[in-house]
Amino acid sequence: MASTEIYRYLYSTDNSIPLDPEGYLVDMSEWSPEVAERLAQEEGIVLTEEHWEVIRVLRDFYARFEQAPAMRPLVKAVGQALGAEKGRSLHLMRLFPESPAKVGARLAGLPKPANCL
Amino acid sequence: MLLHTLNRPPSSRVLDQALAGMGPEDRLLLIEDGVIGALPAQRERFAGVAGRLYALHEDLAARGLLTRCDDAVRVVDVEGFVALTETCERTVSWY
Amino acid sequence: MTEDTPSAELLVILRHAPHGSSWLKEGLDVALVAAAFDRRVTLLFMGEGVTALLEGQQAGPLGQKGTAATLEMLEMYDVDSLVVEKRSLDALGLSGDQLMLPTREVTEAGIAALVASHALVLNF
Repeated sequence: MASTEIYRYLYSTDNSIPLDPEGYLVDMSEWSPEVAERLAQEEGIVLTEEHWEVIRVLRDFYARFEQAPAMRPLVKAVGQALGAEKGRSLHLMRLFPESPAKVGARLAGLPKPANCL
Repeated sequence: MLLHTLNRPPSSRVLDQALAGMGPEDRLLLIEDGVIGALPAQRERFAGVAGRLYALHEDLAARGLLTRCDDAVRVVDVEGFVALTETCERTVSWY
Repeated sequence: MTEDTPSAELLVILRHAPHGSSWLKEGLDVALVAAAFDRRVTLLFMGEGVTALLEGQQAGPLGQKGTAATLEMLEMYDVDSLVVEKRSLDALGLSGDQLMLPTREVTEAGIAALVASHALVLNF
């Protein structure tokens, strides 16, 4: 869920791009591919085209439904957009380890998925 | 057999919703404002659940309705409420 | 279990209109959480709840999000068992073809059957 509490900044040098306590953007409109790269760095992820296509699916999902998806609908959305081969939790776990729905939403500049405990 | 509880007065459309949701064996327990439905004048509204209608003693008493309650309504106290929930498979609340 | 709802487990009854209160939103949230955890969910729209399905909904006057986008999203959670109370549609002069999602209409007897056939019934 979106939090408005500023906990830290993505760029500590000039205090820009505030993040909430869980590392999600406080202001979604500040997202850019560069911000995604920086957030990915924090996760120890190097973004490849396979990451970017999922990030685009996530951003499209939010644009349509006004919420970030939990794992199950994320798998479905990726399958619909990128083909059944990629619409599998294994593929998403490999790209965004631990919790693809949460990590993916964070890198895509979305609020934390609400239905995802 | 399910237990349905209703805490809204008979003038509320929630009563119709509760009645629609009840199966032929289900029980209806009136609680809180729902106990107004236990008055004899309301008998017709509850005709479909005759013999399966209960009202909570404590809520009737609090509203001065205990002695005015329709004879056909079975009055149960909180312990009776608990017993009902035990005999019924599940409880569905209408509010 | 009725034939219409094979292995359906959770019935969420939505009886409130969008925007006026948070009941509808909370009911939908519960349905989504259950679906995210692979529970089979059926939604029953009763009373003013049927207006949640009307086409052409927008944000509120202060820009508050409604629930229409969430309803559109149900499909992505594989929640496709949507039932509306015919009596409520009739009372409001609405018909099934004015609704934004495919639904099944039920009469009073159908509602009792739905309530009886679900292991868990939550009223909102």
